[in-house]
Amino acid sequence: MIIKNITLLGHKDHGKSTLIGNLLIQTKSVTPARINEAKKTSKKLGRQFEPGYILDSFSEEREQEMTIDTTRAEMAYKDLAFAFIDVPGHEELIKNMISGASYAEIALLMVSAKKEEGIKDQTKRHLFIAKMLGINKLIIAVNKMDLVGYSEDRFNQIRKELGGFIAKIGFKASNFYFVPVSAYNADNLIKKSGDMSWYKGKPLVELLYEQAKMEDKRKSTAPLRIVIQGAIESGRQTVVGKVISGRVKTGSMVSILPFGYKARIESIVVKGKKAKSAGLSDDVALTFESRVSGNLRGTVVAEGGEAPKLTDKINSLIFVTGGIKKPLKLRINGNEVKCKALEIAEQVDTTTGDANEKKGAEVLNAVRARIVLEKKVPIEDFDEVKELGRFVLYGNNKFAGIGIISP
Amino acid sequence: MISQDLKSLEEKSIYVIREAKIKFPKIAALWSMGKDSTAMLALARKAFLGKVPFPVIHIDNGIDFPETYKFREELAKKWKLDLIVPKSEIKPELSGFACCGANKTVALKKVMKSYGFDALIVSIRRDEHGIRAKERYMSPRDKNFKWDYKDQPAELWDDYSSKLDTKGHIRVHPLLDWNEIDIWNFIKKEKVPMNPLYFARDGHRYRSLGCLHCTVPLKSKVKDINGIIRELETTKIEERSGREQDKEKAYVMQKLRALGYM
Repeated sequence: MIIKNITLLGHKDHGKSTLIGNLLIQTKSVTPARINEAKKTSKKLGRQFEPGYILDSFSEEREQEMTIDTTRAEMAYKDLAFAFIDVPGHEELIKNMISGASYAEIALLMVSAKKEEGIKDQTKRHLFIAKMLGINKLIIAVNKMDLVGYSEDRFNQIRKELGGFIAKIGFKASNFYFVPVSAYNADNLIKKSGDMSWYKGKPLVELLYEQAKMEDKRKSTAPLRIVIQGAIESGRQTVVGKVISGRVKTGSMVSILPFGYKARIESIVVKGKKAKSAGLSDDVALTFESRVSGNLRGTVVAEGGEAPKLTDKINSLIFVTGGIKKPLKLRINGNEVKCKALEIAEQVDTTTGDANEKKGAEVLNAVRARIVLEKKVPIEDFDEVKELGRFVLYGNNKFAGIGIISP
Repeated sequence: MISQDLKSLEEKSIYVIREAKIKFPKIAALWSMGKDSTAMLALARKAFLGKVPFPVIHIDNGIDFPETYKFREELAKKWKLDLIVPKSEIKPELSGFACCGANKTVALKKVMKSYGFDALIVSIRRDEHGIRAKERYMSPRDKNFKWDYKDQPAELWDDYSSKLDTKGHIRVHPLLDWNEIDIWNFIKKEKVPMNPLYFARDGHRYRSLGCLHCTVPLKSKVKDINGIIRELETTKIEERSGREQDKEKAYVMQKLRALGYM
């Protein structure tokens, strides 16, 4: 089965783990042993049964009722399987949230309908991060509807307020849907709830299924790009890497960037077997007709289209997770490159989407910055080829942010 | 249990194994002769043109099954493995948690130190255990092998940890995404040689292999891979239900792993 990765998003205590736990129980996707274990733990801690314990496995997670680190749980639905990635909602655990969410193609945002909870800064910040991670499909579950008397007005209020923000940060209207749920009572998860007849849409899993079925637009006719991990020893020079767009064929003349010279492909091995060609996402081991020189890690093999830009100056949007301190290093496709300068043009508030003139880099906010690198690297705009348009920033060897390259 | 698309699983694992070998030239792999670590070696052969490009370590406590030792010798010869076999000592007064901690972890520390390995491939999967589900593909351990699970490094896109603490090492987990049934689908497709203990004899087979002391077989008549796959499609029993050290008390796996257990 094809697995579709879905990341949960949202503020702490808005019900992410509870939702996944209950989806797994309702669809019989966990073993009775796992459910019993979670029941026992609930009892031991003197609490009502909490479906979230199926996912939260660390002792600290259960005792403090919070998710500390990301985890994954699978559920089959029709001809697909969903892998739910649970992430922590606490601000200080944002690097764990980013790590988990980066593998997803769909996001499922939880927002509590309770008066004292509602839309929080973290709710919006998670959406901002999801967009930067390249996630374009989004379902918003308005949770705890049972605690607000299944109020249609409250649902509409949240939809209106959050919908504006979602559109503002760049999600297309056809790619996001709201659904009112009670994760704890399983209302509108698999089946439509009798308590919310005013809701005319589909239950949550159906919405997820529809989004998952929408095909990625990236075509195999796109120009060839292979990210090279490095060379391996095997008597003859062999380079290994991953095809991120297009097709590679034996006999093709390709460019090797940043060096700029050309080489003809002699042989291709995919998953240990000789092949005449290889396509999207294939692992490849390549030999060339003549030996190529230079350190091949982080190079890009390209053919056709407009070649990736070779540059040491990039314009970027960075979500800041730590201190932008020297030595500042940028990691992009296996390249680790020192930044000579990072100049902030403006700060972007991740809870409003608005830019301001502040020049500081505050943690949990974003900045538009111009970066000067120590050497040239092959890049493309994030909107064109994701893999060549994103980077991870390290300040004084600590995770400082994630960035995307924009014109 | 859900069978996943093997193509994407293999691609991810091959990517991670290559990345690990390229980033950490002094890398080794743990090989228990079980299905997972044997499947991992088959993937490494695919990633490196038919050759396993790193030493493989079997921590030998002297009480593995005879079939396991025989399988080790046969496959090591067939695949030309660079096999390292440190001995670990079983202390009769210890069992379960204390035994796994004292025995396997201590022996592993010694061998890592004496060979100077800075990375170790371990074939764990998320679906085995809630604690293993929290792991990264590449995860640092400090010089005492401790796993700082409360402060794991960021890991996103295809960007993995570099070694930060020079005295510690990196655990590499290329099979994190695989389910138990995927391993068997792969073994079937690739005709990977397998330890005979997984197939039923006298109405029992082993689903997960540990040492003689702590592993119990389950009732099964299944004698071939197709049978195992069918059994797993419908089972309601947890894979490691036959492994004593997992169930002594709550959070024992968390403690074992925090102290350096695999």
